[in-house]
Amino acid sequence: MIKRRINNNIRKLRFFHNEMTQQELAEKVGVTRQTIIAMEQGKYSPSLELAFRIALAFEVPLDEVFSYDPETESN
Amino acid sequence: MSFQEKNIAVSLANFTLILGFYSIRVFQMIQGGSFNSTNVFRLWGTIIALAVVVTIFATILTHILSAIIHAIKTGEEKPDIEDIEDERDKLIDLRGTKVTYLVSSLGGFLSMLTFVLGQPALVMFTLLILSGVVAQVIGDVSRLYLYRRGL
Repeated sequence: MIKRRINNNIRKLRFFHNEMTQQELAEKVGVTRQTIIAMEQGKYSPSLELAFRIALAFEVPLDEVFSYDPETESN
Repeated sequence: MSFQEKNIAVSLANFTLILGFYSIRVFQMIQGGSFNSTNVFRLWGTIIALAVVVTIFATILTHILSAIIHAIKTGEEKPDIEDIEDERDKLIDLRGTKVTYLVSSLGGFLSMLTFVLGQPALVMFTLLILSGVVAQVIGDVSRLYLYRRGL
């Protein structure tokens, strides 16, 4: 199992934004729903540009959506 | 399963069938004593034509079937299937292409090695196209694996 260094709160943020669906978020940021699913499951770390678009979609700073875990890097 | 994954799965099925057909034909030629340049190059042409035609038709068919299934599921008259390619799809495709090229290059090298080692040129040509088809199959498998496991 691959350990992910970049974690995200997309699922939580969607819930606090009127339970925004994965499809709605995907359309807002210009990717497929499958990519949103992959990110929520920690199977894909987005590009910097996409990360900013997601933060913009939720109207929050980038570090509220994504966090970096240096612990897993040293393992 | 996303539209891109379906496309790859269809491509994998096509190239596996083509690989099977090619292997059987080569085996039959060797068994029947008709392993000569005319038959081998005719088979080359058949395989390349098959790969091109089948890929085009399979892509169209996947599109139509996806739209029909989506329409049945959602009841929409004009189904909007998610056939856009985003950054994740492009990255997976890039890695799959890398695997394809790697296997293809290795196959090409081994094919030429047989020629250097004194085998007839026909063996080299037979192995050359075989490695091309095998490379495509392995590339598709790696793409599907990346979709499932993640990047």
